[in-house]
Amino acid sequence: MLKEMQQVLRLLMLMGKQRQKLCLRTGGGLLLLLWTDTGVSTQKLNCTVNCTVAAAGPWCAGIQMEALQPVLASLKESMFPCVWPCNEPDPEELSAFTDLYGSLRLLLSFQVKDTRHCTSEWQAHIEAFLRTFSLANAGIQIHLKLKINGETSLRELSVKFKRRVALADQLLLTLDVTCSAPPPWCVKKGCWCVRGHPAIGGRLPLSIPPQTMEQGLFGDLSVQVVALLTPCLLPYPNVTTELTHIQNPSNIPVNGPSGFFQKLPAVLDCQELGLDRLYCSSFKDLVYSGGTVYTVEKDSWDDPEQESSLPTVQQSLLLFFFLQHSDPFTSQLTDLMATEVLIELHLEDILNNNRQAVVAAVQTELKNTLKSQNHRKKQQEKLHAAAEVILSSSMSIVSSSSSMDFRNACLNRMKVCVCQVHDTHELAASLRESLWRVTSWKFVPRAKCFSTKMEVHPVHDEPTTAEI
Amino acid sequence: FTFLLIGYISNYIDPIDILGSIRQFNIGWKRFSCDIITSFSISMSSQEILNRIESIILEIVTSLSKAEAPVLALPNRSSWANVSFDSAIGLQMSSRQSVTTIRSDCPSSVTKFAQILKILSVIYRLVQSNSYATKRDIYYNNTKLFGSQKAVDSIVDDISCMLKVPRRSLHVLATSKGLISGDLCYMEEDGTRIDCNSSSTAVSVSSNISGIKNIVSSAKFVMIIEKDATFQRLLDDDFCTKLSPCIIITGKGVPDVNSRLMVKRLWDELHIPIFALVDADPHGIEIMCIYKYGSVAMSFEAHSLTVPSVMWLGLLPSDLQRLRVPKDALIPLTKRDESKLCSLLERPYLTSQPEWEKEMKLMQQNKVKAEIQSLTAIAPDFLTQIYLPNKLRYGGWI
Repeated sequence: MLKEMQQVLRLLMLMGKQRQKLCLRTGGGLLLLLWTDTGVSTQKLNCTVNCTVAAAGPWCAGIQMEALQPVLASLKESMFPCVWPCNEPDPEELSAFTDLYGSLRLLLSFQVKDTRHCTSEWQAHIEAFLRTFSLANAGIQIHLKLKINGETSLRELSVKFKRRVALADQLLLTLDVTCSAPPPWCVKKGCWCVRGHPAIGGRLPLSIPPQTMEQGLFGDLSVQVVALLTPCLLPYPNVTTELTHIQNPSNIPVNGPSGFFQKLPAVLDCQELGLDRLYCSSFKDLVYSGGTVYTVEKDSWDDPEQESSLPTVQQSLLLFFFLQHSDPFTSQLTDLMATEVLIELHLEDILNNNRQAVVAAVQTELKNTLKSQNHRKKQQEKLHAAAEVILSSSMSIVSSSSSMDFRNACLNRMKVCVCQVHDTHELAASLRESLWRVTSWKFVPRAKCFSTKMEVHPVHDEPTTAEI
Repeated sequence: FTFLLIGYISNYIDPIDILGSIRQFNIGWKRFSCDIITSFSISMSSQEILNRIESIILEIVTSLSKAEAPVLALPNRSSWANVSFDSAIGLQMSSRQSVTTIRSDCPSSVTKFAQILKILSVIYRLVQSNSYATKRDIYYNNTKLFGSQKAVDSIVDDISCMLKVPRRSLHVLATSKGLISGDLCYMEEDGTRIDCNSSSTAVSVSSNISGIKNIVSSAKFVMIIEKDATFQRLLDDDFCTKLSPCIIITGKGVPDVNSRLMVKRLWDELHIPIFALVDADPHGIEIMCIYKYGSVAMSFEAHSLTVPSVMWLGLLPSDLQRLRVPKDALIPLTKRDESKLCSLLERPYLTSQPEWEKEMKLMQQNKVKAEIQSLTAIAPDFLTQIYLPNKLRYGGWI
């Protein structure tokens, strides 16, 4: 089912890409309805699932179903053993959708017979796939409705914050830059950046391996990495950050565990990055998320006590691999679809054929991210060391002063109760806590973190990882 | 000019004596004003200094109580915009001066913030216990925090300026760089009696000038000498006893605060002419101006450091022509020299010194400079046997 849905979405995206140069509007909706026929138990050997894909809105404006017939015919052939057409969906389901996004531009329905399709694991697969799709197509609101075994579930994958980025060849992407991480308790309301700021890497040409060329893949192939670090801590320059996870989805789906990506930690120079360990998460995690997920472990610090006292925010890095292909002799939608399928099938070979360059690109992105992280750590250590001197010097003066007025004024300011035995001790603790908070969580408002407008990120020939 | 005229007419009367006499009559108001300034400094009690430090700490505590990062405001001691010129005092800090803000939440300035607080706590303890420490002691007690002696030196001056308290009152002493010799005896604060009369060796300038008492001298003048080499030459030639009893002092180049304080103290106590013997180059002239008018960095303490009555004895640019110093002893001005000379000519105090301005323009015009040592090209002992005696005898100063 996943593959079939993937094919339909591929068709939609390719059509969108063709029209992109004419229209910059990418909003709209995508509805995926999956249901089993009423009264049919999914416990039977042959479980049949009906699927309807509907699209509406500006992102698919200009599509004419009649003109698509040859493409659809080819699609149907490639999607065997799907049954075309299948039962029609409930019109009410569709009307609710069209009320939101306008008249349907595309409506495709098909049926798949497979016992695997009715498990919760399968549903999670679909959701994960759609979430990955949404990462780079954030302008499209995705509605996934499942009616399986009498149970209905509705998921709406809408993106709160988007950012349009321009890749090479004037390809525009609307990225999901929403950061869902809650702000720490000491952050004031309205002072937390809820979006990431993508940094576009350079375009890396890829050579097509001979065996792939024999299968019919020609032309120019390249990859461009877009890095997104969340949560954004640019308004808090003094907070230490710690990279804990890296995820690398791509616009070309990676089916199953990828040998290339699984072995990536072993070929990266972790010593240069200052990382103790970088390892690939379990296959189970891979299935539920888009792309490969890596867990990051840093070198243990010399002073574990200091490590625990410094405020640290954990961050995740999304390294989106955008593969782009162009062939002047391929312009028909069917050919484009076939090309993408080829790339998907031979992705592992392509990546292995360009191992050194791709690994270097990943190394560079990680290095830039961790450079910023290490810089923050050094700054925080400087602040921490100086704070101790500031506190000890101030308390030395307060403690040794013979002026009751001065001592009482200090205690009253910090609202420390004037207790015969412990007042200066409490004052010291109170001052320490306040100094830690004001220095570590120093807030420097940045326009790009709190702007309400969606910006278009210009294309750069040079990597713009300074964003991170 | 008046002194030169008198010297020419009454050639049996030593111009220095005339100068000294006139100075005596003029000391009236200056002594009065100096006394006021001195008494002002003395009246800054230890408790007042402690109070000022406590007020800074209370401001820091107040900021933290409001969840604001504490900041310190240091008057900017390097900006010409913060100083004004007074002919009676020299360069002094303006009442409205720009400040540099040192923040505690900025990694680039937090270390300095901590250094300032640390030194404030040291000073607090010293003043409270009436003990003293040198800047060197402070540095070596925490080399990791301060990083360099220079950092401590600068911060002590910043604190002095911030609290509006002379450094001496902070109970922080500096090891003196300068040397002094001649007809002078005094007693240090700890009771040590110092006699600067030794002909062969010089005495280090005291590190506690305000503690000096019982100054006794029959010197007729004080000569400030730019370089240690020239100073040693005069010592070797027994200059202080040969011509007239005098005092010679050197700061070994750009003078430290103690050397300047010593010159000021000698002026306040003895009221005898103060001459400067510097190289005929922009650097030498600038050093002389520091003694006379003060520096931008220490303008906040101008009252206790400047001696506006300092006179330029030599080496004058006009001397080079008059004495026909051999050309190979002359050095062309570098671009840096020319730039400094232009800067000096624009200084606010030059307008009150037309003779100095004339000499500097002559240097600018001739595009050459010379060290005092260039006089040895005329004769090995020309400096001490002919040049200085004639200059002093016939009033060759401006």
